[in-house]
Formats: sequence, C-alpha cells, structure tokens
Amino acid sequence: MLGVRELSLRYPNGKLALTDFNLSVAAGEFVVVLGGNGSGKTTLLRSITRTVKPAAGEVWLDGIDLCTLEGEKLRRARLALAMIWQHASLVKRRSVLANVATGTLGRHYTLRTVFGGLPASELEAARSHLAEVGLAHLAEQRAGTLSGGQAQRVAIARALAQRPRVLLADEPVASLDPEAAEEIMRLLQRLARSENIAVICVLHQVEFAFAYADRVVGIRNGRIVFDLPRDQVPRDAVHRLYLPEAA
Amino acid sequence: MSLDVAGPPADRAFATTSWGRALVKATHFALALLGLAIVIQAFIVVQARPQDLVTGVFGMADLIRRAMPPNFSELPSTIWPTLQTIDIALFGTLAGIIIALPLALLAAANMTPSRFAYYAARGIIGFTRAVPDLVWALLFVTAVGLGPFPGALALGVHSVGMLGRLFAETIEQMDMAPIHALELTGARRLQVFSQGIIPSILPSLLGICLYRLDENIRSSLVLGFVGAGGIGFQILTAMNLFQYQDVSLLLIIIFIIVLSAERISAALRERLA
Repeated sequence: MLGVRELSLRYPNGKLALTDFNLSVAAGEFVVVLGGNGSGKTTLLRSITRTVKPAAGEVWLDGIDLCTLEGEKLRRARLALAMIWQHASLVKRRSVLANVATGTLGRHYTLRTVFGGLPASELEAARSHLAEVGLAHLAEQRAGTLSGGQAQRVAIARALAQRPRVLLADEPVASLDPEAAEEIMRLLQRLARSENIAVICVLHQVEFAFAYADRVVGIRNGRIVFDLPRDQVPRDAVHRLYLPEAA
Repeated sequence: MSLDVAGPPADRAFATTSWGRALVKATHFALALLGLAIVIQAFIVVQARPQDLVTGVFGMADLIRRAMPPNFSELPSTIWPTLQTIDIALFGTLAGIIIALPLALLAAANMTPSRFAYYAARGIIGFTRAVPDLVWALLFVTAVGLGPFPGALALGVHSVGMLGRLFAETIEQMDMAPIHALELTGARRLQVFSQGIIPSILPSLLGICLYRLDENIRSSLVLGFVGAGGIGFQILTAMNLFQYQDVSLLLIIIFIIVLSAERISAALRERLA
C-alpha cells in the first residue's frame, strides 16, 4: 500500500538525513520506527507527507508517486495520509467534536464549510470516531480543557475522520504518563487492525515497540539498520541504535 | 535588579583599579548632568511658567462659576450630537476592522504569502498609524466637507494602522501547530483560515476591537473641534458663543459616554478572556 523507494534527503547544512531508504507497509500493518535523536525518523514521516521534498527517491501510495505531485494534486493525495504528533495540536478554543470534524474538511467544498459548516452526516461520523477512541461523552467540551492523553485520543479521532489509508504517528506518547501512553499504543494497534489502516509510528520507547508493533524498523544516520518482525529483532541491535557516533 | 555599569568581566577588572573607578564615577556624573540638561531644555522649550498656574487659578474659578449650573434645558438638543459621536466611533472602528484584518494577514510574518506583500502591508499600517487621527480629520474635512462623515473616515483610516499592527502581532504569536495539523489533513487555505486561525485568535481580536472602539469614542469627541461633527463640534460652538453652562452640560455627557464605553468594553473583554 505505502512504499518508500530509494529515498534520500539532505539537510540544509549538507548532512544526509535519509540515504537510499526503502520501506513498505501493508494495510492493517503496525510498523514502529526506532532510532536515536537525529537519526532521520521524523524526516522520514515529513518526506512521506511531503512537508519536505526529498532530493531523490519515490513515495508510492496506492499506485501514485507523491514525490511527483504539487498543489491541488498533492492536497488530494494527502487526504489519505493522516498524521499525529507528540502534542495533539488541537484548536483549543473549539469543542472536541468540532476538532474531530476538521479532519473531514478536505473532502468538502471550501465555501460550504466556511459559511454553512459541515454536513450533519459528517458530524455524526465525527461523534462515532470519538466513541471509537472512548471520548463520546466529551464531544461538546472545549479541547483546551482536556488532559494530554484525552487530547491525543481526540487527535487520533480527527485522523480517523480523515478516513486515511495510512496513519503516521511522530512520538505520539512522548509527553504522556505511562498509563495514558499504554492506552494510546493499544488504540493505535487496534485501529490498524479494525480500520485496516497502515500505521507507521516513530517511538523512543523500545518496550512499546516490542509490545505492540507487527514490524520494527531501526534507523541510524538516515539508513535502515534492520526491518524485522518484532519477535525477530535482536535486543543488542536495538541497543546499538542509541550508541554514540564513535561506538 | 542592579544596573551593572561595569559591563563584562574584562571591564569589571578594569573598574577595580583606581583609574577605572574614577572613570566610572566621571561617567555616572556626566550621565546625571546630561539627564538634568534634557529636563531643563524641556522646561525652556515649553516656556513653563509656574507662576502662571497661580494667576490662572482665578481665571479658571471665574470660568467654573459662569459654567454653573449646567444648562439641563438644552439636554434634548444634545441627543443627536451624542448619537453622532458614538456612531462616528462605531463606523470608524468597523471600517478599520474590515480593512485591517486582511492587511494584518499579509503583515504577519507567519502568514504572509510573499516578502513584497509583507513590506507593503507593514508600510500601509505604519503610515496610517503614524498620521494622527486629528490630521486625518482635517484632511477629510477639506476633502468631503464638514460633518460626521469626515470624522468617521478619519477614525477608520487611523484605526487601520492601530488595529492592523495589533492584529498582525496576535497572528504572529498564535500557536501554529494546530494550523499545520489542519493543513496536513488536506484542508484548503480558506478552510484552514476559517476553522483553524479565526477560532484560535478570535477572542484576542474581539478584545482588541472593543478596546479600539473605546479609544475611538474618546477620539471622536475631539474630532468635532476640527469640524468633524458630533459633540465636540457642539462644545466648540458653545465655547465660541461663551455659553459656558451649555459647555458644562456637554462635559457631563462626555464624562458619562467615556466612562460607560470604558466600563462596557472592559466587562466584555473580561468575558472574552
């Protein structure tokens, strides 16, 4: 479903962020990407969403190379890619439901959404996505009043409202307490299976990778070190991802 | 907080020598003299004569005596100019908001589509703000004649500058993470603007607008002195005709308008916070 082929990207300072990077993720698969700071994990996600333009390589999604797209075509292609971050990035003064419903904006005419709001069916769908993440009872509450874990679940519901084929998560549990972090990981794993969404999740918590991922990808200096099913990943290989440069 | 005049460590070492200490003291003395000179020149330039305050007391007392009691029989005739004064401010504020909002988007570093648009918008905002509303009123009185309309135009143009700057600063300080999140959902620019940017900054913008309306009500009182209608024009006329009891009535009305506007604006802004 999602294929990254020979992807290379150089930072403005000249350092290579990604080098000949290859990755394939199937529908319903939950892939965790591990690596030290500056190893290229976030750059990989930014390249897939085309927030940055790779120097070389291809990002294929359902038969379309995203690297060749610009403008309206890129915007349409992005509808299939949902992203969540370490911080939920909600519009704090709007209700939880309104935040979730913004995930559907890209599918509707601009003037309709600006002046008439979203169709009732989309609001109903947004409610059901909120129910899916267990927050239906908070639909009318202001997003700014939520806890970190609740806000992240709303961000996931917003991503679901987008009806994505791929969900990209950039350290989604980094700022959460252990209990909330477990909840979010369980939720992402469940959604990958139940919604048949390909999930690529960048993490620093190695234990979560071994507990929830179908596959674990290790990155060091912008290159893949290993790409294996979680039960075949050697612990020392993971350990070496985080060793200082000289080691 | 202490003022570290000795500067960085190397200078501090110098300041511990006897020559260094003497030089620091001399610098302090020179700075004190300079400050005193600035204050004295201000007294000279404004031709300050404290004795005139004493002699002027009798003149003011005479004026107050002649202004008492206020001529309340003229109250019905002040209703229209009072309404004009408030409406000049209302029109000016609304016109300012309508023009300032798109300008602010161009003048906000995190939103502007190009450097040219940024500098052009900043230029317009800076120019309309730099020229005082009284000067704008004089220009518009010359252009469109006497009455409330030139006053409203003057406040509108000046408000573009004041509101544009504050709107742009508010937009620049906005948390951009939810905006980037919306962009990545595939939402179009206008959708991101209406569903992300506006809800994020609306309370701040409304607060600024209410504060500007409050300021414009005060300004519209003064604009009447240059022929731009409203209650200020009534005061000017009454002063010229030595009708001081009418003047005192108009001053009471101004006091009520200003105080009410201030209170209402503050209360609404508090609710928005």
